Formats: sequence, C-alpha cells, structure tokens
Amino acid sequence: MGIREQGYHKWDGQLRAPRFAWLPIFWVGIKMAFRKKYSKALFMATNAPFLAFLGGVYVSTRPELKMFPRIVELLKIDARFFSVFYTNGFLIFMLMMLCLVLFVDLICGDLKSNSFPLYFSRPLDRMDYILGKFSIILFYLLLFTLVPGLLLMIFKFIFTGAISLDPRLLLGILVVPILVSIFFASMTLMVSSLTSNGRYVRIIILLVFIFSNSIAQILKSIFRSPYCELFSVARNIEQMGAYVFNTQPVFSAPKFLSLAIILGLSVLSIFILYKKIGKSEAQIEIGS
Amino acid sequence: MMYLMENIIQLQDISFSYGRGKALDNITLGIANGVVGLMGPNGAGKTTLLKILMGFLNPSVGTGRVLGFDITRERKALRARIGYMPESDCLIPGLDAVSLTAYLGELSGMPRQEAIKRAHEVLYYVGLEEARYRMADTYSTGMKQRLKLAQALVHDPQLLLLDEPTSGMDPKGRKEMLELIKDIAQKESMNIIISSHLLPDVEYTCRQVVILNQGSLVAIHNVDGLSVERFHLYNLKLKGEITPFLDGLKALECAVEVNDRGMYRISIPAAESPRRIFELALKTRVQIRHFEPCRTTLEDTFVTAIGADNGH
Repeated sequence: MGIREQGYHKWDGQLRAPRFAWLPIFWVGIKMAFRKKYSKALFMATNAPFLAFLGGVYVSTRPELKMFPRIVELLKIDARFFSVFYTNGFLIFMLMMLCLVLFVDLICGDLKSNSFPLYFSRPLDRMDYILGKFSIILFYLLLFTLVPGLLLMIFKFIFTGAISLDPRLLLGILVVPILVSIFFASMTLMVSSLTSNGRYVRIIILLVFIFSNSIAQILKSIFRSPYCELFSVARNIEQMGAYVFNTQPVFSAPKFLSLAIILGLSVLSIFILYKKIGKSEAQIEIGS
Repeated sequence: MMYLMENIIQLQDISFSYGRGKALDNITLGIANGVVGLMGPNGAGKTTLLKILMGFLNPSVGTGRVLGFDITRERKALRARIGYMPESDCLIPGLDAVSLTAYLGELSGMPRQEAIKRAHEVLYYVGLEEARYRMADTYSTGMKQRLKLAQALVHDPQLLLLDEPTSGMDPKGRKEMLELIKDIAQKESMNIIISSHLLPDVEYTCRQVVILNQGSLVAIHNVDGLSVERFHLYNLKLKGEITPFLDGLKALECAVEVNDRGMYRISIPAAESPRRIFELALKTRVQIRHFEPCRTTLEDTFVTAIGADNGH
C-alpha cells in the first residue's frame, strides 16, 4: 500500500523557534551557488592572486635563492603587501564577477519566481531574509579575501620560522576584506532587489564598477584634480586599503574620504534594500 | 458576535484602509474549528482579511487572535502554525520539489532531517511521488498547485489557508485536490480556510461559508444548513386557470417566479407545508403536472446575500 492510500499523517515533532531563522537560507544559498554553472572555474580564477602572492611570500623569505632580487625587495611582507593583495585590480574584478555570475539572482530570482509569499508566510521577517541572503555573499567573498589573507600570514610564519605579529597589520588583514565584502554584498543585493530581470541587474553592477572608473578618469583629465578619483569604486577600495593599513595613499586625496564613501555606499545600499524588501513583504498578493 | 473559547479565529471590530479607500469595515467574526469558505466578489476584502490573519497587515482599528495568538504582536509564532497556499504561481528558483518543501519546512522551524523526511511524505500524499526530484519550475500548473499544498502541509500546521486551491487545474486534478482537502480536514481535524470563487468547491469542502462584500461581513452560513433549508423552493408545471391559484399562493406569502419555459418557481415560508400547495390547487381546480423540490444552491445564497447588501 502506497503512502498516499494511508492518508495524511500528523507530524509528531516539535517546531522550534530558531535563534538564527536566516540559517536555512544561508545553507541552501551556499549549496546553490556552488552548483551553478561556471562557479568552479570562477573560484579557481579568483584564487589566482592568492597563488601568485603565496609564491611572492616564499621567494621573499628565501633571500638565499638570489632570484629576482628586485622582486624580493618589492615583496617585503608588510602592510603594503597585504593592502595590495586585498585591493589589487584582478581580485576586485573577480569579486565583481562572482557577484555578477553567482549572486545577482539572489533576490531578483525570488522576485521573478514570486517567492516572497512562500518566505514570508513562514516565521521570518525581512531582517532574517536579508541576513540569509547577505551571509551567502559574505561567505564566498570572505572565502576568497579574508581566508587567503590569513593563509598568507600563516605561510609567512611557516617560511620564516618565526612568529612576529604587528597588531595594526592584523587589524588590517581582518578589517579590509570584511569592508570590501560588505560593500560588494550590499551593492549586489540592493541592485538585485530593484528588478526581477537579472540582465538589468548585471548591467547596473557593471555600470557601477567599470564605468565609475572610466568616469573618474574622464573627470580627472578635464578638471585635473585628484579628487575626481573619488568617483571610481575600484580606486576608493584601493585608497581605503591604504587608509586601514596606513600605507602610502593611492591618489592625493584624504584617505578617510574613500573609507567614508565605501561605508556610506554600503549603508545606503542596505537601507534601500531594507525598504525594498519591506515593501515587497507588505505587498504580497494573497488572493484576488 | 460573542467570542467563543474554541474559536480559532476571533476578530473584533477590524477595519483597514488603503489610503482613503476602506478595505475592511468593522469586521467582527468568530470562526470555530473545521473547514470554512471565504467568499465574496472582487474587492470584497478577502485579500485584506487574509493578509490581516497572516499578520502581514496591521488593522487600523480592532483586535484579533488567530489560534490564540495576537495578530499584531505574535506574528512569528502565528506563522509557524499556519500553512499557506498562495493563489499565484510561486516557487523558489533552482530547487527540486523535495528540496523546496524541506527548505520551507526548515524555515518553519523543523529540524533539517525531519524536514527532509516529512517533505517526502507530503509529496507522496499530494501525488507528486514520481516527480519529486524534478525541478519545480518544470512542473505543470496542476503539479505546481499540488506542490504549493505540500509546502503548506510540511510543518503540519494547525490552520491551513488555501487561496483558490483548484485554480488552473483540469477537472480530474481539481477533483483530486478537493478530495485531498476533504481528507485532511476529516481525518486529521485540521482547520482550513478556503478563499475561492468556485462555489461548488466551497460547497463540496466547507462546513461554513463567510461572505464578504465591499469590506463588510454580509453573511455566515452553515453549508449543511443550506441543504436542509433547500426544500423551501419548488418547481411546478401547471395547467388550467392559474390566476386564482397564484392569488392564493400570494395570500400564503409565497413568492412566485415564472421562467421562459412556463415553469413556476415557488418558495413557501419555512412554517408552511408543501401540502398547502396541493390543497390550493384542488380548491382552485388547477392541475399540477410537475412538482419538484428545488435545491437552494450556495450560489443562490451568495447572490441573495450580496444582492441584499447592495440594496437590490
């Protein structure tokens, strides 16, 4: 006899009020992102800077190799090394690509498939929903920024055989990837919540990250002011890294301004996202 | 209306406005256990009432409790105990039916392993056993309806809100869906509220109907009661001089309608016996060639209630 013939059965378990209601969204999102087409290729490509910098760490800690002495000098493992690692153009580009390929659908896919009635008829509020989606992007971005940064530091200790830790450097190693990841995650989710069309979301993100750079260059060539570089997202991320690691500024403008711009854009994105999801939650269509 | 302790839904003076337009006006309603149909024309306020029951909207005036939980202050606890089947097409992209159902079970507070086990059970129950590993977005309309019912059942809710549950289904699928709803209600005493435009669906599954019109509560009827009262109406075919007969009926306070096929539809007051019709026919020498008790359908009740409310 099939289960169906036996009729409906009561579930004898107990529902629990989860402390982290967003956690199922996180786990499912992690699995779905990993299963996506091109995800593995993207993950490998995003790891390329780590492998290059790991080679640099090894070479710089082996002066006896007498290979590329000038490179060894450049690759001195200090604040500048980590600042360059976290804010190098290739890594930033790959983080943007991860957002474009793996994460743009996180909210716009739900909008397209009309998933909100399913989510919000559960004991979830918009903060749980946003936290769940946010945590998925943060997990992957930190996996390719913070984790390699910490690994580089550990490998440096292994290669040199000595543990010496500068608290300011450690702070930078922890804070910069978190700030960069929060910025990318909030921007991606905010844009994703604006429309149900994934193509538009990709175009908007590309405009923000690539064309902001071009606009900054055009304005700089017109006005010849270093402040014009503040229009570039990539340059602001570099300058923010320089501020946190206390290294030479990337362009001649106060470094804190870039930190303020990155933080401001992140907060603004989260605010818009929160409002948009709240609106969707209230406008769930139930019945005719 | 009095509040009863066993009422699963108790609303007191609930009003809600969208801007200047009043969507619900002073609704006081108590719904006891069982299967209840929520009916009303477009714009009647069914949508808003369901939104308020789910805690999506705060009433501008009034208070309410669903399953004993305050609809404005205990939303999360309330939603954990409600299963909701939306009318519109909705799914979570990139998931097969088992993963989707288990995922939503987890979001309701079920432990992961339990949610997966239960997802298989409810998918079997709704008849998606063969297709449960297929991506949900490849499902037909009927299969999506079943999947929506499965996700609403996965956490074994105390109250099931079904919004147009047979929408877009073929006759066979529709019948099966109604059987499922009836089965759930009868075997497990689950409380169900069905919002539907399809009156036969409501008549087949519901114990009680709540009729809304223009944001107001128009009527609450017991469906069983409707079938008991249905012998007030009779269809008659008459021969002879019928004017004295019709005058006699009017004297008995009977309403008479004649259709274009010459059939008379006579409704007599509940206190009167149909025997009086035959006595009158004998007295006025009218032949009754056809006599048939006529069922007052739910549609009649619905139209009468809405018509009376609109002043027609």
